[in-house]
Amino acid sequence: MNREIPHENAENFVQTAVAEYQSPLLRYATRLIGDPDRAQDVVQDTFVKLMAQPPAVVDGHVAEWLFTVCRHRALDILRKEGRMKRFEEGEMERVSAEEPQPTRSLEAEETHDALLRMIDRLPPNQQEVLRLKFQSGFSYKEISRITAHSVSHVGVLIHHAVTRLRAEYAAQRS
Amino acid sequence: MNISKIIPDDPRLTAYALGELDAAEQVAIEAAIKDDPAAQTAVAQIRALSGDLSAALAKEPLPFVVPPKIEAAPPAREPYQPRKFIRFPFYLIGGLAAACVVAMFVVQKQEVTRRDIKLAEAKTEALYQKELAKLEEKSRSLIEIELKKEGEGVVHLPTTKPESEPVAQPSAPAQPRQNLPVLVADVTTGTPPMSNEVITMAPFSVEARHEMSFKVTQTLAGTRLPAGIAGVGGSAGAASPQAWATAAYGRHDFNTETYDRQVDNDYLDAIGNPLSTFSIDVDTASYANARRFLNLGQRPPQDSVRIEEFVNYFPYHYAAPKDATPFSASMEVASAPWNPEHRLVRIGLKGREIPEAERPALNLVFLLDVSGSMNEPKKLPLVKESMRVLVEKLKPTDRVAIVVYAGDSGLALPSTPISQKQEVLGAIEELSAGGSTNGAMGIQLAYDIAKANFIKDGANRVVLCTDGDFNIGVTNQGDLTRLIEEKAKSGVFLTVLGFGMSNYKDSTLEKLADKGNGNYGYVDNFAEAKKLLADQLSGTLVTIAKDVKIQVEFNPAKVKSYRLIGYENRMLKKEDFNNDKIDAGEIGAGHTVTALYEVVPVDVDSPADIPSVDPLKYQAKGSTKSKLAKAADVSPELLTVKIRYKAPEDVLSKKLEFPLVDSGAKFANASQDFKFAAAVAGFGMMLRESTHKGTTTFDSVLGWAEDGLGEDAGGYRHEFMDLVKKARGISG
Repeated sequence: MNREIPHENAENFVQTAVAEYQSPLLRYATRLIGDPDRAQDVVQDTFVKLMAQPPAVVDGHVAEWLFTVCRHRALDILRKEGRMKRFEEGEMERVSAEEPQPTRSLEAEETHDALLRMIDRLPPNQQEVLRLKFQSGFSYKEISRITAHSVSHVGVLIHHAVTRLRAEYAAQRS
Repeated sequence: MNISKIIPDDPRLTAYALGELDAAEQVAIEAAIKDDPAAQTAVAQIRALSGDLSAALAKEPLPFVVPPKIEAAPPAREPYQPRKFIRFPFYLIGGLAAACVVAMFVVQKQEVTRRDIKLAEAKTEALYQKELAKLEEKSRSLIEIELKKEGEGVVHLPTTKPESEPVAQPSAPAQPRQNLPVLVADVTTGTPPMSNEVITMAPFSVEARHEMSFKVTQTLAGTRLPAGIAGVGGSAGAASPQAWATAAYGRHDFNTETYDRQVDNDYLDAIGNPLSTFSIDVDTASYANARRFLNLGQRPPQDSVRIEEFVNYFPYHYAAPKDATPFSASMEVASAPWNPEHRLVRIGLKGREIPEAERPALNLVFLLDVSGSMNEPKKLPLVKESMRVLVEKLKPTDRVAIVVYAGDSGLALPSTPISQKQEVLGAIEELSAGGSTNGAMGIQLAYDIAKANFIKDGANRVVLCTDGDFNIGVTNQGDLTRLIEEKAKSGVFLTVLGFGMSNYKDSTLEKLADKGNGNYGYVDNFAEAKKLLADQLSGTLVTIAKDVKIQVEFNPAKVKSYRLIGYENRMLKKEDFNNDKIDAGEIGAGHTVTALYEVVPVDVDSPADIPSVDPLKYQAKGSTKSKLAKAADVSPELLTVKIRYKAPEDVLSKKLEFPLVDSGAKFANASQDFKFAAAVAGFGMMLRESTHKGTTTFDSVLGWAEDGLGEDAGGYRHEFMDLVKKARGISG
């Protein structure tokens, strides 16, 4: 049904956004930067920018807007510090395998922890889109707009991540 | 797109499995993997993994943040500049400023030069903890420090005025460093020059700082904030300081149930508006909700009464479709009991019955709100009872999963076949309430689980049980409905069951169900749970047609004007009828849907006549009239009902047409179902205090209902009469 959704009260708009997205954004920014303090600054900047927006501009896609601006700010900081390579291409296939692979079959409650450990071993750019997709619930299209990757590149990144996780997962479970 | 074969390493396969392709691509991939077991296995594995991924990632902790507090502002002397206006919740100006002052006290007292701890650098955490630790030694009775694990430093400072003043709780180690000078300036300029006594006595300094920060907060709240709000939101003076203060302290006791304002559909003239288009609505929540009010001896709020949901609460005995079409239409017309000159037209749809044995397998994911607000007898305990009733009705091959959501979302029961009933019942038993509500994350997870266990040709459905009070996560209605809308494309349907009273968010829930290809029921007691989940299980959970739209064309030669009773928020534009992209309501197996029109015949002078419009200047005069004369000769019909619907998995709609001729029947001779539906509509009009109610009274409603009682399987109609009497009692 395409019914009109009443607009949120303008004065509640920033406040609501903060209440909703502060934690998820902080988690996202911390992942990007690796430093909770700076992540806090980035998230704060993001909300300050939101205050300058007329609500109508971001209405209906506040989450996407916030993640986009947040990412932008985070990359600015990384760029300034010369740490940008973390998110650029080329690192895609770099795989760290410090952790030993568990060989025994996993108990149900351990499965998720194991999966998280596997995710942590993925290249950072794959981790990022994977979390945007499966943790924050964005679609390929939304992720594409947030990360400035093309939709098909988002597809490739998620595909690579999922394929690898699937293989490792299967190996562990057998 | 034409793909003959797809290799497992094609990213499109992943995209397909995750439901990210558009319709055309999806069809192409589907065709390509139809005979490819390897690809099908891959898809199944990806979907299963997707559910696990969501579940695993949902376990990653969200950083701890304090609830938003609106406190910070630049020094009062600066001219007001909206863009630079920093009003960020976790600045926590009072606490920060106080901490700095305290820090300065200690620094001065010990005569240690601490300038090398540069305030402007991001070393504030160390500073806090060091200095506060020192303070603690000196005044244990006043300050306790609770350091959580690294990165989550939480400092609890006792306060003399816990109710009126927020206690500083740095949400994360780093405070915005660029604000420090401002904050310090704020506090110091706001207080008289500090005396040495204050500086040297820690306990007093703590008190003093509270007063100071309190003062600052007060000033800011009183003067600066509304201006700041105006700068942000563009609506000057809309929020009072009190409103902000309330918001800052959480959602206690100030927001109760919400209903969208509904205005009755008005009369439309049949010449200017020959087409009336709307989406069907099988929801019944409004009636059950009104029952809850009436049983408490209260009149339900006008806007909570949706007449179509009242009428559709009751099953009617319309003939089932004989052929393969998913539903039949049965129409009837008689005089309107509240205005005998008017005609009352009933359009009744009856969904095909699916015998229990032929019911498709169910893949249900219960999404349960287990937040603190659900911890009431009529909420979570009733949810659990409802689920037990349902589980007893399911077949061994049906699957049930349970996702719970509160502060974090989690999987309480992985998708489990009913053949392992004890496991399911055990998981239900263990559910308990606590925490705040992040509905969006739960919705995400629930849909992922549903997709991972998707049963082709089965009924795949997320069943959301909540009081609708989503208070963290995506609570913006726009975002929430967008999320649902996107999820609805995956072929997973949604049932929303509302529970509980106070805080009940009717409007949010109805919209969710609406956007999510779903239906919406309100469960006020165990009997209602039984009706929805046991007696009408198939109707509630098995969709036989979706996007069902009705367009009625009135014959202006017979009809002067008409009005649709109810369906106010289901109206569509006439162009939407043939537009398959426009979403509409779903109909479940065996469901009946009833719509009522009140029609003013051409030869009746009715006070309900619509005010006339000036004749059109540029249209040929009399053209409409002459055409009408012709049409009237040709057709004795009062109106034609056109129905569009899609099979649950289809993207293209089919159309059915049913003409209706008015035989001039009197209300007294109408069928029992007709009389009863009229009684229910009359009751709805009474509760809404509708201007269209004519001669309706509670007593006349009782009379019509009595005549229309029939055999009343389930006793719903008798219960209705009890409610009418209760309403009469309250009004009398």
